Amino acid sequence: MQELLNTLTLGSIYLLFALGMALAWSTIGILNFAHGAIFVFSAFSAHIISEHVALSMPVLILISVLVGAAMSALTQWLAFEQILKRSTNHRSAEMRVLIGGIGVAAIPIAIVDKATASAPFGFANSTYKTEVYESMGLRMTNTSLIVIITGVGIAVALTLWLRASRRGLGLRAIGVDSETASLMGVNRTAMALGTMAIAGGLAGLAGALQVFQLQAMGVATGDQLLIKAFAMIVLGGLGSMAGVIFGAFALAGAETLIFAAKLGTWVDAVSFGLIFLVLLVRPQGIFGRQEVRRT
Amino acid sequence: MGVPVQRRRLLKMTAALAGMAMLAACGGGTGAAAQNAGGEGGIASNIKLMGVYDTTGPVAYAGVGASKGMKLAMEEIEKQAFLGPDVKLTLDEVDTAGAIERASSEVSRAIADSEVKAIFGPVSGQQAATVAPIVEQAGVPTIFNQAGSEGVVIGDFTFRGTAPMYSYYDIAAKYLADKGLTDVAVIYNGTFPTFAEIGQKEFPRLAGEHGLTVSSSYAVQSNTQDFTAQAQEIAAKKPDAVVLLLIAPQAVTALTQLGQAGYEGQTVGSSVQAAGNVAQAGEHAAGLVYPVDFSAAQDDETAVKFVEEFTKKYGKAPDQYAAEGYDSMWWLARAIKASGDSSRAGIQKGLQKVAAEGFEGVMGDLTFEGNDLRVKGVLVQWDGSKERLATE
Repeated sequence: MQELLNTLTLGSIYLLFALGMALAWSTIGILNFAHGAIFVFSAFSAHIISEHVALSMPVLILISVLVGAAMSALTQWLAFEQILKRSTNHRSAEMRVLIGGIGVAAIPIAIVDKATASAPFGFANSTYKTEVYESMGLRMTNTSLIVIITGVGIAVALTLWLRASRRGLGLRAIGVDSETASLMGVNRTAMALGTMAIAGGLAGLAGALQVFQLQAMGVATGDQLLIKAFAMIVLGGLGSMAGVIFGAFALAGAETLIFAAKLGTWVDAVSFGLIFLVLLVRPQGIFGRQEVRRT
Repeated sequence: MGVPVQRRRLLKMTAALAGMAMLAACGGGTGAAAQNAGGEGGIASNIKLMGVYDTTGPVAYAGVGASKGMKLAMEEIEKQAFLGPDVKLTLDEVDTAGAIERASSEVSRAIADSEVKAIFGPVSGQQAATVAPIVEQAGVPTIFNQAGSEGVVIGDFTFRGTAPMYSYYDIAAKYLADKGLTDVAVIYNGTFPTFAEIGQKEFPRLAGEHGLTVSSSYAVQSNTQDFTAQAQEIAAKKPDAVVLLLIAPQAVTALTQLGQAGYEGQTVGSSVQAAGNVAQAGEHAAGLVYPVDFSAAQDDETAVKFVEEFTKKYGKAPDQYAAEGYDSMWWLARAIKASGDSSRAGIQKGLQKVAAEGFEGVMGDLTFEGNDLRVKGVLVQWDGSKERLATE
């Protein structure tokens, strides 16, 4: 039972990180490799402010979300949109966006690296205090509870919004065929900017919550999660938010079990090996539909 | 006819000079090594050194710290006219930014520059292991700080100014034994070579020597960020002590989650936790002990003076990396003085001579195994806000 709780907590951290990345990739076709850097820089911005003023958890989260949203929207406006405009075909655009993302990521990471001298940073000066609850031999902190509720809550809300709302439908239409969607009145540029702002905001939220949950973040944390998020999205099925939820908890579950079996250095090999095996049988991912094609 | 003959001679001389320059630039082969290693005798008035290490990137803290320590030492060497009244050391630094290929190309560039008499090599183990054969072959004396991997000190021209962590980890095992904390759990980063070696081999050996029992051992990866499962299992088993051989952010999380899981025993870290790297863990890190090769809390005269001078120059107390850089630069200065020769060959001979005798540095009495530094080390305790000495 404790393993289940641990899986839920770890899975929720992964989920929060992967949601924004999945949203942008599966709708507007932007695989943003700067997502990890935005995640780190947002949390770092909140950390810098918290060093001078003792702030509460909601305020720190808000700062991180706003910084993440602004960074992501700026990246879309100044980098990705310009790349898309100048690219002759979708394939080359995808590749250039990917490379562009890596280039953009280097800037905030270099700033954080310089400012922290690679030391871990956190919210030690925050007014928030972690409480530990114990019941029937199970232990859980209030932070874990917040992470689980936020992660699952936002994932479900985002899934429902994409399925049921008019804007969600518009976004999904862009994901299927952006040209046809434009002809039907969907403003791709504005939608893309909004989507990237939401994705960045989610990265900021994930960053702040991760710092509260794990107490510290290193400059390389974003890159480590980026690879895992990529695997989660592909495992769940690109285009499916339910797939991301599944992918996050499947990876967290696999990791928790491998740790429980004392095979700690095999975590990546076994987890990614299992994902590889699943994809051999179902290349479109668990929840992915074969007929769906991004343009 | 006179004019064409002169032109041919000029062309021949130019071709010969170009060939020599190319040979020097390649820096490889026995010929190049022999040429570079050839002693010139005497101490030059300007001795050019090259620093090729990370000042940005994941291990920038080590490169930046070492650089500060070296610069302070250079100032003192010049001020004291240690090498003579008009002798000046100059250090050109290049940032490798975490890239092995950049380290390799910058070291090759330094080798090709005959004015460069010695190199301070990369602080990252992988980068250092890559450039070590290159400097060996070219015959350029190179001192590495940090870079604890195998394959770094591999011959007469490669030296290390940082003692391997395992060589002074004994003081942590002794501390536990003295306190009667014999039941020990270990969490180690199995993908980080230094920690993997201590976690798998050295600490179990030390435990055996000091009568400790390693009751459980947990390997994790460098990208492991959550330690809830390990912390809860350890808290349930209640060992007397937990040894954490983890990188900086991991240790903060592990200490916090051990505390949250209800573990109240002794925690033991590594030098990675020095320089306030566990501050984010707050109360959960209080009481943590870790062995280091240098601490600003050291109370011996040499260390106190170094801390004073460093703080005066940089506005903050030195960390272990600064101390390593400082002692390394003094090692080099002593080497030049000992051999009376600032050529590459002279410095190499001098470094070996000083290493054979040892000297007193800010890290204490420095001894060497071949070209590799050894120190006694000190055990420090983090009280929640600062370090203090845990042992004499």
